[in-house]
Amino acid sequence: MNLTMILFSGFVAALLLLLVWALRAPKRPARIEAGACSLEETGQRHTNYLAQIRQALAPADYDFLSKRATRGVQRRVRRERRKVARAYLAALRVDFRNLLRLARVIAVLSPEVVAVQEFERLRLTAVFAWRYQIIRWKLWAGVASMTQLDSLSNLVSGLSVRMDAAMKELGERAAIAAELASLRDGRGLDVA
Amino acid sequence: MAELQKTLQMLWVVNIAAGILLLVLVAGRRNYRAFPAFSLYLVTNLTVNVCSFLAYHRWGFSSAFSWWFALGMQVVATSARALAVAELCKHLLARYRGIWGLAWRVTLGSAASVLIYCYIAAKYQWKLALISAERSLELAIAVVIVAVFLFVRYYGVEARPADRSLALGFCLYSCFSVLNNTILERFLDNYVTLWNFLGMLAFLGSLLVWTWALRRPQAEVSPEETLLPAGVYQTVAPQINFRLRLLNEQLSQFWKTEATRN
Repeated sequence: MNLTMILFSGFVAALLLLLVWALRAPKRPARIEAGACSLEETGQRHTNYLAQIRQALAPADYDFLSKRATRGVQRRVRRERRKVARAYLAALRVDFRNLLRLARVIAVLSPEVVAVQEFERLRLTAVFAWRYQIIRWKLWAGVASMTQLDSLSNLVSGLSVRMDAAMKELGERAAIAAELASLRDGRGLDVA
Repeated sequence: MAELQKTLQMLWVVNIAAGILLLVLVAGRRNYRAFPAFSLYLVTNLTVNVCSFLAYHRWGFSSAFSWWFALGMQVVATSARALAVAELCKHLLARYRGIWGLAWRVTLGSAASVLIYCYIAAKYQWKLALISAERSLELAIAVVIVAVFLFVRYYGVEARPADRSLALGFCLYSCFSVLNNTILERFLDNYVTLWNFLGMLAFLGSLLVWTWALRRPQAEVSPEETLLPAGVYQTVAPQINFRLRLLNEQLSQFWKTEATRN
């Protein structure tokens, strides 16, 4: 078998694998309603439970327990905290997927899409999926230390502030866009 | 070898019969309205098959003239196939103007890259030039179909079963042709008859897939979807990407914390 044969056989094998993947029916219907309501809800679901997550991951609780509780209790708390961390990761993924679905619906229904935005989203999706799996495996395997889990609480609160700012900005821009779109339809103003 | 040649001739007749049957089906169900380029491809292919069969019958399988004649005919058939594939891609995505605008650029870019790759990977021998060219075109066709299916999957666009089956038939045949031509390039004379036989068998497989896909009348292409104003995408897409980046950043910080402490 020479190099050309290996190259072309590999290429064809890769193509067939991609074809099988692409033709597989998606797990869930990919279409969602592209209304303003779902846009507001998307990305905000997990932040509604921030207070509880923060409490569950607070380092102060663990310090307190490490001084007063037995090892068994500490182990149980550690297990429970890991569970919370996993649930949090899963919530992040749900938010991510919802945003993606919304973005795809908007792209499909738009008369023009920007390649840079679409490829950026593809890149972000690949990066997210890779990191998510690695962190999840570490949590399952118990490799992540308690201090690492504690750091989640700080991250979560940081995200909360930035997400709020982003949501507010998005709301304002969407209102401006709607206004501009109605102006364009009504008076022939080209704002695209 | 003589037995294989006899089987080859029989398979040829079967292929021609299957082609005629499909053409009759397309005409009877009036599917040529929905798939004009595909119908044209079927007619071209049938003509090419009959001409090649007559040429082989007259001058024999081992004659150089038959070989060049058949390959020349194959170029015509491949061009018609490229047109039919373009039509299918349009069927699958053209209703969504924005996505289609991106998809055709990406698929054409991929096809061009594949052609360049094939040109680099090919051995520069005049004798093999035609085989390499055909292989390049087949690979480009397969890449275009897979790329369009990836777009369909990624954006959750609905694809009609007939379009999917027709595209699948083309893709499988093209993939098989690439492999078949690559082996032919390596073993040339010893493989020619078997190459012909396997190629025809693969084409018969595609014909059966297409016959199944077009067993019922197909509606003409659906009208374009009602689209959102252009401003919505311009405003919302960057914001969604920004929010995706925030979520990614969130994971990234956790990732970095782990990496530094492990």
